[in-house]
Amino acid sequence: MSSIHLKGLTKHFGSFQAIKQMDLDVHDGEFLALLGPSGCGKSTTMNIIAGMEGATTGRVLFGERDVSDVPMTRRGVGFVFQNYAIFTHMSVRANLAYGLKVRGVPKPEIDKRVAAIADFLQLAPFLDRPSAKLSVNILQRLAIGRSAIVQPAIFLLDEPLSNVDAAFRAVMRTELKHLQRQFKQTMVYVTHDQLEAMTMADRIAVMDHGVLQQVGTPLDVYNNPANVFVARFIGSPGMNLLPASLRETDGNIVADLGAAGVSRPLPRGAAKAAYAQGIQDVWFGFRPEELSLAADSQGIAASVTFIERIGSRTVVHFDAGQAAGKAVFQNDVPLHAGGAAHMVPADAAVRLFDRSTGRAIGEA
Amino acid sequence: MTSFAETEATLAIAADDADRADRRLGLYLTLPAQILVLFIAVFPLLMQLYISLTSWSPLSGRGWWDAWTLWNNFANYLNLAVDARWWSALLRTLLVMAICVPAEFLLGLALAILFMDNFRGKRVFYSILLMPMMVVPAVAGYMFFMLFQSGGPVNNIASAISGHNVAIAWLSNPSLAFIAVAVADIWQWTPLMFLILLAGLLGVPDDQLKAATLLGANWWQRFVTIMLPRMRAIIVIALAIRLIENFKIFDTLYIMTAGGPGTATETISVFIYKLTTNDLSWGYVAAIALVVLISLSVALGIAIARQTKRREAAS
Repeated sequence: MSSIHLKGLTKHFGSFQAIKQMDLDVHDGEFLALLGPSGCGKSTTMNIIAGMEGATTGRVLFGERDVSDVPMTRRGVGFVFQNYAIFTHMSVRANLAYGLKVRGVPKPEIDKRVAAIADFLQLAPFLDRPSAKLSVNILQRLAIGRSAIVQPAIFLLDEPLSNVDAAFRAVMRTELKHLQRQFKQTMVYVTHDQLEAMTMADRIAVMDHGVLQQVGTPLDVYNNPANVFVARFIGSPGMNLLPASLRETDGNIVADLGAAGVSRPLPRGAAKAAYAQGIQDVWFGFRPEELSLAADSQGIAASVTFIERIGSRTVVHFDAGQAAGKAVFQNDVPLHAGGAAHMVPADAAVRLFDRSTGRAIGEA
Repeated sequence: MTSFAETEATLAIAADDADRADRRLGLYLTLPAQILVLFIAVFPLLMQLYISLTSWSPLSGRGWWDAWTLWNNFANYLNLAVDARWWSALLRTLLVMAICVPAEFLLGLALAILFMDNFRGKRVFYSILLMPMMVVPAVAGYMFFMLFQSGGPVNNIASAISGHNVAIAWLSNPSLAFIAVAVADIWQWTPLMFLILLAGLLGVPDDQLKAATLLGANWWQRFVTIMLPRMRAIIVIALAIRLIENFKIFDTLYIMTAGGPGTATETISVFIYKLTTNDLSWGYVAAIALVVLISLSVALGIAIARQTKRREAAS
């Protein structure tokens, strides 16, 4: 069991900064998802934790122990590669046994543990097959089993589900979670798929352009995005952000959305505080799911551009002022493309972001 | 339904006819090439077989087509079986192979492993390393002929290091001449091994090596369990190329020692060369060449069959 601490981590590739000053603590036994778009530095972070790459500056600690200079052979982390890196010239059994064999574990012990892990991952029927011709689903389980068999305290997974089909992905999500509960490892899971991150992780660390944007529980990240990037990135579709300016009307702070109208009085104190500090240009944010239709001349005036009816829900694409947005309704709505719509976001769902910094305004 | 089936059948017959016509056209078109191949490969072989059954020689005063008049009841083959010079030439050739090829393989592998890492001047060393391979073998032979003279650089350097006057007659001492020839061959052909094996090493998937490292395997364990098995096919190819080439060793050796002193470094190629140009016993030479060709083909056939079998077993 081991926690992971990244302290002041940076990584340069030539003049390119892959990671900019990153501090991250992964608790002991935690399942942390490192989430971000391609090229955000999440895989590099992972490689540095595993010791495959050295950090330009900064330290990596496992628990109290500084492992920054420990070579990867002796870091003892389990690692599942995106393409699995199965030893295709060996049988499934030899793959599973590899980690124990190179550590000189006695043969009977190896056999016992291989049998146990094969049983757990339903690999038993394939044990004596050459691993070169297995299906992706089995390779996936084999890759996890090969790392898990040495019972590493820290388990790193680099987009392990990106190559498997959708149905199997759902199964594997549950399996992985189950595996982690059973062995209580500290797991870091790199993914660009927020669904994976949201469903499996205890906490999510969102990265973009080498900068850690926000760390929090899935719901926290979803409900209270720390900045505009997280707001747009998390959620499917992401949060709507309309340019607005704050102003005071009858002692209340409202957001003026220009051509789209004026919001209802903003209920939270943070808006008032921001206004008092002189912040006027903001992004007026709300989740597409938090909209309800309003009577004419109320709420946000929008023109509907396109409607997707997916059965369980209806996605309405709209223009409000200069900005475009989306609304998601549970049932069908009496709207049509080219028509006008008036929608009101739930008061509690409104989030404000400073337009100059992109940061969330308080608990807006 | 019937009409459909009939159409099908008619179509099948038509297709068959078209097939046959196609094949005939193909035959006509390739005929010139086939005749050429016949002339290049089959005719010399048949002629060789024919002459090998006679005691014909260019000095016998007859055309080769009249060689049948010199039919000698398989005497060439029977003589070969008891020819001590042939057997020692064969053994010597095998000995050269047994020394040179493993040495070239191990040196080439070691160099290839060194070149997996980055170090200063890697590109320069790389070019220098590949140079011997580009040298014409006859020129290489001449270089080593001079290096190993009694008053040559090898002895000079040995003298300078030991402080005594070293004047070893490398090329006129039977076993030393053998060593000199082996050194020249190793010098010239280690680069080829190096090149092939480096390609093999670079082809080992990097993530598998990383996965093995993360599982705790040290370098030697990675080498034995990942690199070597992954390189098996390329190692077989590299060894096969060098074994076949080394079996035919001639130019370097002939210029350095001409098979001498006496017959101390006489390999099969040199033996055949001398029989052809000095003794002019062409019937005998034809017999030897055929025996070598057939034994090599059989040996290679067995090796390939075994390799294929192993590959099938593996998959």
